[in-house]
Amino acid sequence: MSDASIAARFDPLVQGAAGEKIVVRGLNFFYGASRAIKNVNVSLRERKVTAFIGPSGCGKSTLLRVLNRMYDLYPNQRAEGEVLLDGQNILAPGLDLNLLRARVGMVFQKPTPFPMSIYDNIAFGIKLYEKLPKSEMDSRVETALRRSALWEEVKDKLGASGLSLSGGQQQRLCIARTVAIRPEVILLDEPCSALDPISTAKIEELIDELTEDYTIAIVTHSMQQAARVSAFTAFMYLGELIEFDETSKVFTAPREKRTQDYVTGRFG
Amino acid sequence: MADFYHKRRRSNAVWTVLSYAATAFGLGWLVLILGALLWNGVGGLSLDIFTKMTPAPGVQGGLLNSIIGSLIMTGIGVLIGAPLGVLAGTYLAEYGHSSRVAWVIRFINDILLSAPSIVVGLFIYQLFVVPFGHFSALAGGLALAVIATPVVVRTTEDMLNLVPNTLREAASALGMPRSVVIQRIAYRSVRAGLVTGVLLAVARITGETAPLVFTALGNSLFEWDPRQPMSSLPLIIYDFARSPYPEQQKLAWTGALLVTFAVLGMSIAARVLTSRVSTK
Repeated sequence: MSDASIAARFDPLVQGAAGEKIVVRGLNFFYGASRAIKNVNVSLRERKVTAFIGPSGCGKSTLLRVLNRMYDLYPNQRAEGEVLLDGQNILAPGLDLNLLRARVGMVFQKPTPFPMSIYDNIAFGIKLYEKLPKSEMDSRVETALRRSALWEEVKDKLGASGLSLSGGQQQRLCIARTVAIRPEVILLDEPCSALDPISTAKIEELIDELTEDYTIAIVTHSMQQAARVSAFTAFMYLGELIEFDETSKVFTAPREKRTQDYVTGRFG
Repeated sequence: MADFYHKRRRSNAVWTVLSYAATAFGLGWLVLILGALLWNGVGGLSLDIFTKMTPAPGVQGGLLNSIIGSLIMTGIGVLIGAPLGVLAGTYLAEYGHSSRVAWVIRFINDILLSAPSIVVGLFIYQLFVVPFGHFSALAGGLALAVIATPVVVRTTEDMLNLVPNTLREAASALGMPRSVVIQRIAYRSVRAGLVTGVLLAVARITGETAPLVFTALGNSLFEWDPRQPMSSLPLIIYDFARSPYPEQQKLAWTGALLVTFAVLGMSIAARVLTSRVSTK
């Protein structure tokens, strides 16, 4: 299938329609010589959740790591194509990566609290960009913790180490930390895969609330999760984008046989 | 079947006994050394040791000038070696990775780690003693720095390699510049380990004698000025242990006791700190 025909099929979603926060065009990604993403065209709707599903190794996490140029930390990894954030190509050379990452936040599979207090875990990121008086910083930290549904659990021990929290709390702390610096897009890379069902439910509720202000992309291995939290779903397989549509359509009336097989659990 | 099982049990018993025996053999010497030091050295411990200078033959005295000399020269060695080692180790772990330059540095560092210390002493002698025309504590400190640096380089790199990449990614994902990620996140998460490296380096150079023979030389008088020859505990042990005078021999034992327990103390502190390094 040629690039043009894919682009044509996803036309209304891909071609920079109104409300498109991120548009990915003709993206190829290489780990050394091996190509992990093949001519992918996809887009993230503003203030919507877009889920990326597909079997392990299909390139969905890799795609996410392109959106904030996380791959740039490693030599031998390289992206080709265009990724437009509000119309600006973030793959262009000379882009300030730190500013990009402040706009496009990321939460990882494993909770990664910094080795410092709960308060500092959140204040630290803010301090990178803003110089705030103590009282204002306090309220920013509180807001971030409230937004992440963690405030009630930690308000009496803000000085305790972030590492002392449970796995689910740590993950919400990481979300709070990301939200605190007021990004525009939040990338969630299997945020619940290390969590128990109760913590998972809390995070999903949280994702729902966050869509009021943020554009969200989530990579997940749980089809139920994709169906529950997302408005759009992209199904990837072996580095290709197989299908991209409204979540309800992908799960109930997929156009592609492979999508149907995957969402009904017949392979992958 | 049963035969085979019994045979295995027998061999298990034999190897267990051998392992214990080897451990006891190794530890036995350590106990003997420490015992001999305590037996011969403790008797000489008195206030005089810390208040009086090293004596001339046949006179009572102490080790004050040697103790101070050791502290000063070890201090110089660490002040130069620790920052250099931490920075080089940081380069290797955070920037160099598997590049050719890093490979070469690592190789040279390993050679330095095991370089005979007498060679280091001769090197500094040529470089800092011959041109100035006299021995000095500064030259001694520099020789010690050459020995301390590779130890710190190695531990710093090893410790930073324990920092999970996920933590670096998480920090970068907030838009943290590389330097901030290293200083505020990576260093912090293995702080105890970095301190351990410096402590191990201090422990290593505290007992060094050979590099000081050609550089600091030794001095029977009290000396603050690092530009002058200076005494140190290992040097005075070397001198007095060969002395025919019993007073000096006794001082050598006491000096050895001080050095050994200082090193032992630092090694134990380093162990305790390492066990606290958390890389969760």
